[in-house]
Amino acid sequence: MIPIDHILEFARPLAEAAAITIFVSVGAFGLALALGLSLAVLRDFHPVAIIRWLVQVYVEIFRNIPSLTHLFLLFFGLAYVGVRLSSIAASILGLGLIGAASLSEVFRASFESIHHGQRESSLAVGLTPSQAFRTIILPQAWRVALPPIGNYAVQLIKDTSLVAAIAAPEIMFTARNLVVNTFETTLVYTLAALLYLAICLPLSRVIRHLEVKSATPR
Amino acid sequence: MIDFISTLASHAPEWLTRLWPALGQTLLLTSCSFLLALGLAAPLEFGRACRWSPVPQLVTIYIDVVRSIPILAILYLIYFGLPGIGISFSAFVSGVIGLGVVYSTYVAEVLRAGVQSLHKGQKEASLAVGMTPFSTFRWIILPQAVRVVVPPLLLTLISLLKDTSICALITVNELMLTSKLIMSEFFLPLHIFVLVGMIYFAIAWPMSLFVRWLEPQLNRGRRTGSTPIQQVLH
Repeated sequence: MIPIDHILEFARPLAEAAAITIFVSVGAFGLALALGLSLAVLRDFHPVAIIRWLVQVYVEIFRNIPSLTHLFLLFFGLAYVGVRLSSIAASILGLGLIGAASLSEVFRASFESIHHGQRESSLAVGLTPSQAFRTIILPQAWRVALPPIGNYAVQLIKDTSLVAAIAAPEIMFTARNLVVNTFETTLVYTLAALLYLAICLPLSRVIRHLEVKSATPR
Repeated sequence: MIDFISTLASHAPEWLTRLWPALGQTLLLTSCSFLLALGLAAPLEFGRACRWSPVPQLVTIYIDVVRSIPILAILYLIYFGLPGIGISFSAFVSGVIGLGVVYSTYVAEVLRAGVQSLHKGQKEASLAVGMTPFSTFRWIILPQAVRVVVPPLLLTLISLLKDTSICALITVNELMLTSKLIMSEFFLPLHIFVLVGMIYFAIAWPMSLFVRWLEPQLNRGRRTGSTPIQQVLH
């Protein structure tokens, strides 16, 4: 009953597509992590008020407009003004910029969760504010932020499916093409869903495990 | 910049006459799928609290599976995949079902957090003073749970609103698809997507501000164990 020969035929293109999905996810994750942390630090510690305000504007814009709108703006909108990004570059950039906004909120919440006495006593024993942040606050905040960052990673892998809309050859886009060529609609889309399941389910299990471990008293 | 604004302004009236009905579709899609999500979340929660041993495990597996698959894949399965086995829905109904099913798992999580936040002594004490289980729920549990549940529910509603844009890919005539059609007619991608982004923002941002304002209002005079980080994650 199960069409083995068809599954074998679809396995190769779908595996290649999964590699693109992973590639885009990893790229966007790195960008989101670096930019998100920088934004959080700027938002909370920058002395110039207008910079803090601009960061807040960035976060609000990216959190209150759908990802698809941002991706279309980056891919079609930038091409219109002469900056032609490849679909993969636009995907990594778009998802990374969106993720940075969410992660900056996660980082800020994790900074807030560290008791202010930590900072005050580090300053009192003579650390500079930046030393206090790097050696005292950040290592503790990092542990608090880790589980939400993990959840974000899973969410990000799922969100890479959106870049199919700007023709990046990841899983959903490839599935769509396979359907157009073979008309095996139900089978192909089921395989695509199973592929995401095979990537995301183990990952979220690992993250939940980490979450339980990091919840143990420090 | 000036050029951009004048082009946008000259086209905006024409585009908006097409975008308003699309916005209507987006809002209708949001409300229908939110109602479906609420309706599906309650049985999920009861299932998870069920005493017969396989039921809670099955519910957990179901939630894990639904959460591991992107919304787009679920929408494609419903809209393009189900007709293959003889079940077909219109694009709009597929969108409502897909978003409703996915979001029910998030809503279930919110409801659980709401009920768990109450000490069980509340329930025991009300029963002990002679209240019926129903009036205990109605007058003791519900008013307290609402305070915990409403802000995260509104946040869920905001992400749902944003995610209705994914339904453009299964040809629901909502904002995103309409703006993409307008783009291919006028070849002004920057203008139309900035405009449609502003429309989404005009709805979602006031809602986010409202949630931020509401939360301290609801928590007034109440000791909360939740730290800011839990509020971000809920």
